[in-house]
Amino acid sequence: MNKNDIKLIIIILIIAIMILIVIAISDNNKNTKKALIYYDNNLIKTIDLNVEETQEYTVEGYNGEVKIIVENGKIKVDEENSPLHLCSKQGFIEKNYESIVCLPNKIIIKITSDSQEQYDTIIR
Amino acid sequence: MAKKRKFKKGVLPKLLILLIGFLIIIFLIICLLKKISTPKYKEYTKSLNYMDTVIDIKLYTTNEKQANTALEEIEKIYKHYHELTDRYNAYDGINNIYTINTTQEVKKLEIERDLYNILDYGINWYYKSNGLLDINVGNLTNLWKQYRDNNNGIPSNDELFKISGLDIKNIVLYDDNQILTGNVNIDLGALAKGYATEVVHHYLNSIGLDNYLINAGGTVLAGKNIDSQKFKVGIQDPDNSASILKDGNKDLTLKVSNKVITSSGGYERFYEYDGVRYHHIIDPNTKMPANNMKSVSVITDNAMLGDALSTTLFLMSIETGQEFVKQFDGVEVIWYSNDNEIIKTPGISKYE
Repeated sequence: MNKNDIKLIIIILIIAIMILIVIAISDNNKNTKKALIYYDNNLIKTIDLNVEETQEYTVEGYNGEVKIIVENGKIKVDEENSPLHLCSKQGFIEKNYESIVCLPNKIIIKITSDSQEQYDTIIR
Repeated sequence: MAKKRKFKKGVLPKLLILLIGFLIIIFLIICLLKKISTPKYKEYTKSLNYMDTVIDIKLYTTNEKQANTALEEIEKIYKHYHELTDRYNAYDGINNIYTINTTQEVKKLEIERDLYNILDYGINWYYKSNGLLDINVGNLTNLWKQYRDNNNGIPSNDELFKISGLDIKNIVLYDDNQILTGNVNIDLGALAKGYATEVVHHYLNSIGLDNYLINAGGTVLAGKNIDSQKFKVGIQDPDNSASILKDGNKDLTLKVSNKVITSSGGYERFYEYDGVRYHHIIDPNTKMPANNMKSVSVITDNAMLGDALSTTLFLMSIETGQEFVKQFDGVEVIWYSNDNEIIKTPGISKYE
């Protein structure tokens, strides 16, 4: 085995690694992140967080409408009616299992990455 | 140095090394091509609030325009049937259940074909269910709702049995577009969600969108999943809304593709009085909330049938229900008894 053979083996390895990288990257955008919104412990809404442009939603809370804003992978409560406005002051959340809790409005927002979810849906 | 010697000592012919190298590259290129050529499905979701329930829609398609049109169209369908079957509100330009129930005068009232068809379907189910699924029980529903909203006490036997107008024969339909008013109080709660969902089902088939999952409360419409997997549907525990019904040690999960699952149970709208739970599915014979089981779930091909069937089964004893379902082809059932026992039709094993 001479120097050229070793060069050839290295070239083959580099090509193989490059192709593997391309495959790995093309797999990456499968990650779906969602926000789950609960009212009084019941799931009332699921929002896909992988959005390009800013989106607005309103849900009905105990004290009236709760306005929610979604922006590339993040979610926050923008407006709600409560004595201290704790949950609209909290701002954006984006990490898996982070949550916003609006006790006066009985609203809970959770983030999940659904790649490991056990069920596609639950029938009540 | 040691490495170099190893190469020199190696007996692998150069050709073999080359061959293996090229095979690896070809294999990886095939993988890459396969990846590129499989279209990328995206999930399009929407949550609606109609017919007293949250309707979660998930569509999976490669065509964004188709997805957005479909989401709009589906919302239109649910909104349309919500307005037609609404018992508490009137809407401009349509005669709906509210209009029918509140018209005191005995006359023929013109109604839309869609509403006519649900009413006709409801009357047929009255006879099919031996009078258990009754759509002319609005007066009874109202009485129970009044007690539920006040969350205090239950109606007396006197109150329950003096309610008038509870006869399916009082609903008279004419000419595909008219109903006789004055003597009816209709409640389509047991049928409306399933009926609208089946209309959505037809719509999705007609535009060739195959991959979807719609959850309209007690009605789940599952199309094909995007991978070869089936959709996994968990059944909620009637006693604990945070967990899944257990079958022995494992969660009760149904794996379905192109099927409809419908559930009826006494845990959706209820109140408690004297430690007893009073829910909203009323037995027309006893005029009390049905107490035959905790819940029942049905797998069918048709949401209209599924919704009517799960309510009917909820109003029968489990034994009667086991006989009753034998007349329907391809229908499988899971009962959850008052003693926390799970009873299944034999065909359920296909979906576990």
